[in-house]
Amino acid sequence: MNYFAQSFTDAIQLILKLDYELYFVVWTSLKISLLAVFIASVLCVPLGLLIASSKFPGKAILQSILNTLMALPTVVVGLLMFGLLSRQGPLGAWGLLYTQVAIVMGQCILIIPIVLNMVISAANTADPRIRSTSIALGADRFQQNLIFINEVRFAMLAAIVAAFGRAIGEVGVAMMLGGNIQGFTRTMTTAIALETSKGEFEFALALGVLLLLVAFIVNVFLEKFQKLNK
Amino acid sequence: MNTAAYEINHLSFKYHDKDIVDIDHYLINAGETLALVGPNGSGKSTLLNLLSFLSMPAAGEVRFFGETVRQNTQPDFRRRVGYLQQHPYLFNTTVIENIELVLKLRNINRQLRHVRAQNIIEQLNLGMLADKRAHELSGGEIQKVALARALVLEPEVLIFDEPFTYLDKSFVNGLEKLLLSIQENRTQTIIFSSHDHLRAQLIADRVCCIHHGKLIEESHVNLFHGKYSREQGAFNTGNIHIKIPEIADDVDIIAIEPTQIVLSRTELDSSMRNRFRGEIVALNARNEHIEVTVQTGEKFQVIITRSALDELAVTIGSPVWVSFKSSAIRTLR
Repeated sequence: MNYFAQSFTDAIQLILKLDYELYFVVWTSLKISLLAVFIASVLCVPLGLLIASSKFPGKAILQSILNTLMALPTVVVGLLMFGLLSRQGPLGAWGLLYTQVAIVMGQCILIIPIVLNMVISAANTADPRIRSTSIALGADRFQQNLIFINEVRFAMLAAIVAAFGRAIGEVGVAMMLGGNIQGFTRTMTTAIALETSKGEFEFALALGVLLLLVAFIVNVFLEKFQKLNK
Repeated sequence: MNTAAYEINHLSFKYHDKDIVDIDHYLINAGETLALVGPNGSGKSTLLNLLSFLSMPAAGEVRFFGETVRQNTQPDFRRRVGYLQQHPYLFNTTVIENIELVLKLRNINRQLRHVRAQNIIEQLNLGMLADKRAHELSGGEIQKVALARALVLEPEVLIFDEPFTYLDKSFVNGLEKLLLSIQENRTQTIIFSSHDHLRAQLIADRVCCIHHGKLIEESHVNLFHGKYSREQGAFNTGNIHIKIPEIADDVDIIAIEPTQIVLSRTELDSSMRNRFRGEIVALNARNEHIEVTVQTGEKFQVIITRSALDELAVTIGSPVWVSFKSSAIRTLR
């Protein structure tokens, strides 16, 4: 218990001292995950709305597949992407393995089913009068979609926040595709795994606290946003 | 000469192969107020959707101010119609932003948007609600704001689907006045649906009944304004006292179904509580029926069969008795 308490005190000191290495890892994690979330959102919000509003054969199967992919293990994504991006792999020539871009790609694959599924679900459960009202008010197709997104913005935001939580907290993709290179691809989760195995428990604990803090801040922001708009 | 706001030709709308709307030919004049009356499921809302260009007919055509509406031009025509749905939806923002949004969709600049929204808010007395968010409003308030949102566009045609459904009495009166003022100015064509025949008769230039998707024209008959008098125990029109089925201090309009009135040469000894002596002032043939107008202090229109008229052996100027049960009276508060 003494060991844990001492490590926790050291971890807090590291955080308060604004330790450069510690915060660089945090910044790397945030940068990678936010970029992955941004790309996934830009792709999935319009695609999700399109899927929700269209009828096509295999729609139900697609939704079942998306549901399954929501629970995709991160190491499986890491493994598949590793096979594609490694030198012998079909995308090996791109030279992306052990780069931040590779982690962003892996995280995108991980979170696309989450965002897509939640956007489709939000669109399906939204009040049908949103669209009929915007049509009656003379909105063109583009304006109708903007109004719709604005009306279901809480559900959209919840999808984005869930995706961010998944991306920032995953370790398999970051480890296998990033390689945990110090000052380059080391993220909070890979650093926690490494530092713990090295016996640098206080450093790992400090990162753990900051990871929780990031998750907390994102949720507080979501809650505030909902309150402001209600 | 009146221009037609709508010219409907061979219009048909089907749902699961069943005719929901089936109109051979119908004209709605520009500047007139038309009430569409009919029971639930008669096709009112479907017809209003077609007239608002929210749906396309299965067959036939709708001409709007002389122009034929086609699938590809439908959105342009839709922007010329203000449509208030039966269960309107307000966007999750403030009242004023809801009203301004429709102007924004038409690329009207911010300053003008605000001025026009404020004007309509003042006109409809919605100042207290302007900064409230949509989810804070009651059903009636939502209806009012949706009305403001339809009016702010100043469209050529205003279409209201059951506009009086959720409104409180004070606002119903206000809405009636507003519709009547638009009618006076003859600036906009108004089409509204209602299941309330009486109110439709009060406001509209023309009342049209819809049954199984087909239109049948109707006229205003036996509509009396007045007050309930407790002393008399009856409704006082100013000229006669009519016994109504209930004690109702707040009733100010009543209507009597013309087919429910009995004509006789002598006073009837029956359970009918309302009996008035009068004189026939007009006789009009309506297919198999005759519309008899009797002056009793108030003019009553009575619809009887030709054979009943022959049996009575009366003509214009003949003295007659008009009798009806109080259950034949419809009251409006």
